[in-house]
Amino acid sequence: MLRFLGKRLLQVIPILILVSIFIFLFVHMIPGDPARLVAGEDATIEDVELVRKELGLDKPITEQYVTYMKNLFRGDFGTSLKTNRSVSYEIGERFMPTFWLTVWSMLWAVAAGLLIGVISATKRNKWQDYLGMFGAVSGLSLPSFWLGLMLIQLFAVTLGWLPSGGMDSWKSYILPAFTLGTGVAAVVARFTRSSLMDVLKEDYIRTGRSKGLNERRITWGHGLRNAMIPVVTMTGLQFGFLLGGSVVIESVFSWPGLGKLLIDSVAYRDYPVIQGEMLIFALEFILINLVVDLLYGILNPQIRYE
Amino acid sequence: MKKTVGWLSALAMVLVLMLAGCSDSGKEGSTAEKGGDGKKAVKEGKDLTIAVADNFTTLDPHDTNDTLSNSAEKTMMEGLLGFDEKMNVVPLLAEEYEASDDATEFTFKLREGVKFHDGTPFNAEAVKVNFDRLADPDSGLKRHSLFALIQSTEVLSDYEVKFTLSEPFGAMINTFAHPAALIHSPKALEEYGKDVGKHPVGTGPFKFVEWKPSEGLKIEKNPDYWKKGYPKVDAITFKPVSENGSRIAMLQTGEADFIYPVPTEQVEGVNGKNGVEVDSEPSIVVRYMAMNTMKEPYNDVKVRQALNYAINKDAFLKVVMNGQGEKLDSVIAPDVQFYSQQELYEFDLEKAKELLKEAGVKEGLKAKLWGGNSSSTVKAMEFLQQQLAAVGITVEVVPMESGTLSDKIWSVQNPEDAELELYYGGWSPSTGDADWGIRPLVGGKEAFPPNSYNVSYYDNEEVNKLISAGLQTADENARADAYEKAQKLIWDDAPWVFLSADNTLAGKKNYLKGVYLLPDGSLSVSEAEIE
Amino acid sequence: MVDLKVSNKEAYYQQTLENTPSKTPFAEFWRKFKKQKLAFVSFFFVVFLILMAFIGPFITPYDITEPDYENVLSGPSAKHWAGTDAYGRDIFSRVLAGTQISLYVGLTSVLLGAIGGTFLGIVAGYYGKRIDSLIMRMCDVLLAFPGILLAIGIIAILGPGLGNVIIAVAIFSVPMFARIVRSSTLAVKSTLYIEATKSIGTRPKRIIWKHIFPGTVSSIIVYFTMRIGSAILTAASLSFLGLGAQPPSPEWGAMLSGGRDYLNIAPHVTIFPGIAIFVTVLAFNLLGDGLRDALDPKIKE
Repeated sequence: MLRFLGKRLLQVIPILILVSIFIFLFVHMIPGDPARLVAGEDATIEDVELVRKELGLDKPITEQYVTYMKNLFRGDFGTSLKTNRSVSYEIGERFMPTFWLTVWSMLWAVAAGLLIGVISATKRNKWQDYLGMFGAVSGLSLPSFWLGLMLIQLFAVTLGWLPSGGMDSWKSYILPAFTLGTGVAAVVARFTRSSLMDVLKEDYIRTGRSKGLNERRITWGHGLRNAMIPVVTMTGLQFGFLLGGSVVIESVFSWPGLGKLLIDSVAYRDYPVIQGEMLIFALEFILINLVVDLLYGILNPQIRYE
Repeated sequence: MKKTVGWLSALAMVLVLMLAGCSDSGKEGSTAEKGGDGKKAVKEGKDLTIAVADNFTTLDPHDTNDTLSNSAEKTMMEGLLGFDEKMNVVPLLAEEYEASDDATEFTFKLREGVKFHDGTPFNAEAVKVNFDRLADPDSGLKRHSLFALIQSTEVLSDYEVKFTLSEPFGAMINTFAHPAALIHSPKALEEYGKDVGKHPVGTGPFKFVEWKPSEGLKIEKNPDYWKKGYPKVDAITFKPVSENGSRIAMLQTGEADFIYPVPTEQVEGVNGKNGVEVDSEPSIVVRYMAMNTMKEPYNDVKVRQALNYAINKDAFLKVVMNGQGEKLDSVIAPDVQFYSQQELYEFDLEKAKELLKEAGVKEGLKAKLWGGNSSSTVKAMEFLQQQLAAVGITVEVVPMESGTLSDKIWSVQNPEDAELELYYGGWSPSTGDADWGIRPLVGGKEAFPPNSYNVSYYDNEEVNKLISAGLQTADENARADAYEKAQKLIWDDAPWVFLSADNTLAGKKNYLKGVYLLPDGSLSVSEAEIE
Repeated sequence: MVDLKVSNKEAYYQQTLENTPSKTPFAEFWRKFKKQKLAFVSFFFVVFLILMAFIGPFITPYDITEPDYENVLSGPSAKHWAGTDAYGRDIFSRVLAGTQISLYVGLTSVLLGAIGGTFLGIVAGYYGKRIDSLIMRMCDVLLAFPGILLAIGIIAILGPGLGNVIIAVAIFSVPMFARIVRSSTLAVKSTLYIEATKSIGTRPKRIIWKHIFPGTVSSIIVYFTMRIGSAILTAASLSFLGLGAQPPSPEWGAMLSGGRDYLNIAPHVTIFPGIAIFVTVLAFNLLGDGLRDALDPKIKE
């Protein structure tokens, strides 16, 4: 177990190095001159060159890469070209808003998804199943920015119940968390349904039934526990996706999170911020995968870690 | 089977009705209020919230190149001069000023008894520290170029200061009024150095409280402000809200007291409802479609004029600008200094076709139109595409993300190699002077990319001479004369299709007074008042 | 990641191989599929959509690019069933003509993604070891890469246009296909049947094409169908960010994005393309669910 953990954590390092090289090349390949973009709309060539020098972008690309990697190994992500603040500050500032939005979205989405999934699986091909799946798949089929704008129009503008954007109180979480969670809820519901349907066909469930165990206990107790593995995988993956921050949702709800930061940094070709954010995403993703693998063990003690 | 289909379609219908319902009820709700001739919204307290379209980049005016950050800086800091709501230069921290005839020496007499927020007195020495910083090429400041001409700043007395330029620059007074020339407390400059952009200290009506790049900027009343009786509100919070619809919603719900910009499309929908008023005022932003005058067939003035005749400017205003603007009748907008009105290219399809025929352009000419990828820019480009189709020009609209677009335009080293054919863009001369509205855009070879913004690669000897003549003197009449002639020549050469001069659009709750946008699109809140 | 279900799957596949029913597989599939009522209806709707994609552009009541500035943003009426847009163009006609574009983007991008992903997945699963972990780590990196940044990058490098949107969306699909195909490959590979084929000296290429690929087809088809929906949504999101189809193309996402500024005064401009996207994606998703239920040998009545 510990050996497994150690091995997996060691694997993180080469992946991160790979990611950092890949990202560095990728962002520098995108056309666009950060000096020009940072210097602004009515800058003269002198301004642009001044900015270029100031930002160290006049140095050869290989030198820039070496500096970047050196700093990275010291834990220094660099300084934002646009705001002149440290990248760690920029990311730190936006991490928590995205994190909490993700947590709340996941909480309701997983709860709703599990409920719908279990009902659908136990009432297979009955109206509850159809309604549940239709509802879940509907959630997956809406363009999220459209849903978000419609919800703002209804709940914020027309009814005035909820704020339309920003992050001021618990009320601010409701609309974005709902919008962000719909897709996840749908995925969880579908996975739960199919996985539970598989499990309910297994021999030990049949045995339980024939022994006269309560149907509800079979479903929720034995069935669900065993059906959870693929659901946990999927949920973990979704959590990872959401932690990256949703560019679209954060724009619609003016949420001060990582997605918004990413899109702004890309617009300015703010290389250090993009690179820093990408490394954080990669790290989050790897760690979540690891946690998911560990959860397998808890759900099914028969699994051995290779 | 049949049952399922029926059931499904019923469900779909319900869904459609629900969706349609939310927007319809939205409409009804607001019409009800509209019936009451715009009821007065009520505001509690004296704290304002202003929603803006983007994050501020810095709060150091010397290092700022976006109007939005300038707007925030102007709440806390002031310059020697400033602009009034018509873009006229007015004294602020200076009481009087004087320019030598050859536009090389500028003397200012300063206001006495003014203090910075940190208690430092405002005087000639403070002015010198600021302009020395701006004029220093090694400072790495983004606005250095505006002040690079300043050779020396002399302290004549405690409240008198003289600037000497290395060469004549007739537009310098306007440059002093530019937000880049706002004055920091010298103590703050010394204390924070480059980080002064995070700790702004000025003489303005508001003091800095807190700035979190993602959440916004908070400022509070400066109780010792030199202008008695101001400011009349206690605090202001600026929030960045990039999505247009969300910004509007905040105003409607009362989460914001003032928002800008209001997208032109929404004006009709929000004005007079929910206690919201939209202020629409002429701006100095011009909209144009540049044609590459070095490229066939746009090197022929007939073709360029033909395109001007081919575009229906009334329809442009109606469809693209939703009526929020005026037809552009010179290369600069009416509120820019030394503007002179030209005779419009009236929409005339026959004339356009005839000119194209004379120029030997055949039916089916293909052209690429470049521009940004915001929804309003794309909308304008799509309109131009439709209009040019009527004279047999097939336009491919190529919207590009900002970084890509700037790369495409400015990575060109030889003008002959420029790929650009048509370009849709806008320009706001932030100094409010004709020079900055003309020279960077059509000022000959000097202004070709990558140096500046002459994307039509327009180079007319005579125009170039007139432009420099306008800078050689501080004499208003001589300058006006030069710019009048230049505008006429440019108009006739038509390096652009002249489209419109925008309006500034701001939305506010109707209890709010004294907050307005200047023609350059920057915000003024110093007279803010809640009724 | 630990391969959990391999041993289980092995058992299932053995079971299916042993219990191959006397009916043809297709008849069996059809019988099961018909039972999935939502999916069955969706199937006909998808057929209808594909039909529309071909004939839609020819049966539009109005020219889809011809502006009518006297008649902008008018609401739904007998003349214009879905109203008109900001240029006075008939929205119903544009939605109809847009079917082709949205389906084209959805299908081709997923097809490209499926080809790339399947290839990688089979190679990874079949050869295992170093190649496997290399490919899978690459997929991890790609998965961790926010799709939007990738899309912005690709479109910035290749330029705007529908073709490049398709490529950008296709790349999103590659890692997921690779993962799914890899696990099916592992399952098929470990069956005794393949072991037997290997032992009589069949070349890897032949084994892959003749035996492994067919074994992965059902999972590919299922995921393919489900992925179309999200591809259409991704394309719409790209349009929202200004990176989608070029005007005057009646791509639904572009219509939606262009109309969002009119949400207060002319909601119909966004509602109709929004419904079109919703219904189309819904149909593909429901169809995918149904196919999975019908193709999955584990699920019995």
